[in-house]
Amino acid sequence: MKRISLFVAVVLSVVSAFPQSGMIEERHYSHGTAYALVAGGSKGIGYAIAEALAKRGYNLILIARHMDSLISAKNKLEFDYHVRVEILSYDLSLNESATDIAKWCMDRNIPLKMLCNVAGFGGSRDYLSLPLDSLRYMINLNVGSAMALTLTLLPLLEKNAPSFILNVGSMAGFAPIPVKNLYSATKSAVVFFSYSLSYQLKDKNISVSVLCPGPVFTKPEIIEDTKKKLGWFGTLMAVPPEKVGEIAVRETLDHKLVIVPGTVSKITAFLIRILPRQMIVNIYGKAGDKK
Amino acid sequence: MPYALVSGGSKGIGYAIATALAKRKYNLILIARSEEDLKDAKTKLETAYPVHVEILPFDLSKGDSAAKIGAWCAERDLPLKMICNVTGIGGSADFLSTSLTDSLYMLRLNTEPAISLIFHLLPQLKKNQPSFILNVSSMAGFAPISIKNIYSATKSAVIFFSYSLRNQLKKDDISVSCLCPGPVFTKPSIEKETIDKLGWFGKQMAVTPEKLGEIAVDKTFRKAMIIVPGFLAKTMSVLLRTLPKRLISLIYYKLTPH
Repeated sequence: MKRISLFVAVVLSVVSAFPQSGMIEERHYSHGTAYALVAGGSKGIGYAIAEALAKRGYNLILIARHMDSLISAKNKLEFDYHVRVEILSYDLSLNESATDIAKWCMDRNIPLKMLCNVAGFGGSRDYLSLPLDSLRYMINLNVGSAMALTLTLLPLLEKNAPSFILNVGSMAGFAPIPVKNLYSATKSAVVFFSYSLSYQLKDKNISVSVLCPGPVFTKPEIIEDTKKKLGWFGTLMAVPPEKVGEIAVRETLDHKLVIVPGTVSKITAFLIRILPRQMIVNIYGKAGDKK
Repeated sequence: MPYALVSGGSKGIGYAIATALAKRKYNLILIARSEEDLKDAKTKLETAYPVHVEILPFDLSKGDSAAKIGAWCAERDLPLKMICNVTGIGGSADFLSTSLTDSLYMLRLNTEPAISLIFHLLPQLKKNQPSFILNVSSMAGFAPISIKNIYSATKSAVIFFSYSLRNQLKKDDISVSCLCPGPVFTKPSIEKETIDKLGWFGKQMAVTPEKLGEIAVDKTFRKAMIIVPGFLAKTMSVLLRTLPKRLISLIYYKLTPH
């Protein structure tokens, strides 16, 4: 009930905050429904978050590299839910992408209520088994893109406050995983960034959340890798993408700072965060050696 | 005589580490942007200690610097025993109080030089094992400091990287350490900022660069993982590491003007 009334209040405040004059493409963007931008929204966790937002009546701006997966995401979402879906094809590891995206939003005076930074890169190969260029790409995409989109879209989020930022970290950001060295390091930076940002934006009435899921079975490789390294426990901890999206959006709108979907993951995350780091690293190190 | 490479070794913490290594009869390869600063450091170190100091002026924020340094070392086949990654930036301008370009530069300079130098110098370290890697992070890497948002986040990444790397290189007999100092008065501006923000306590917690360099090198050779110089800073760091991040970041937030 609280959520519904909050949403109604949000919608009403957006409607009243938007004068009908002086807007570009008025017919498209002035009907007052809130927009959410999902970076990396065409597939996986990003798509699940987009879907959970569409269910709640949010119009969407999806960003991804490949136009074809964006188009199929748009078609599915617009068919299933009565929302508008805008799609923009950008490589978010490039610094100028965020600036271009923000300009696109500002030119159209998009009533942006939520920014979801989901774009990220990781996998079973990492430091010492990936070339340096891929590692640089990982740093830029996992950390740089969230920083850049947050900073460039901040004026719009401020204008449409109360608004929300959802960054996607990972349980790998709670303690170092040797076999996923830089992935884990960049996700720790995202967790830190989110904590700090939540304080920095408190006075502006922008709520910041960070999603830290355990294994999410979005791709067959992830299922295989998780089962190989974590065994039955990995399967037990895993959460389907739809559930992750639903929980992520619900708890973001509830102003939760750290979001860990699933009971087993939540308990594991709690242990990872309180036990001595060296001990966790050693456990991870042993699990990672399994071939 | 073995060699140690110190990135950011011409001034501040890097120079202090270089001095502590020279005292222990390590030849040095110092990397920094300014050739002038490097020459000064070389003259001082070679006058005071019986060591040989090589200087390489490179901007480590440039993508190909580390590869060139790696090639330079490989050509000469120097007995490299240690890499100290000190290069980094911080300061009072951070996310929301500086430009996107500056924030992204900080992200890059505080993470990439260590990652790419180790990547390119690993064959040398493996050849000369047992060998050592010392990454410089900060106490800011233990819990998020909102006013130093990106600095704190990148320093946490350095700590994570060091933990993982230590595990990855265990079987190669390469020990990885991470230096996480509290305030170090390397410049008058840092001294002033620390005293302004943390008052008496900040002053008590601070250590001199010389002491820091000594402790860092000594502990690295003794294969410590996390190195926090100074008794008070060490005590503080235990609290920072064990208390919930949310509580610590709230305290940091309340302590700083906004």
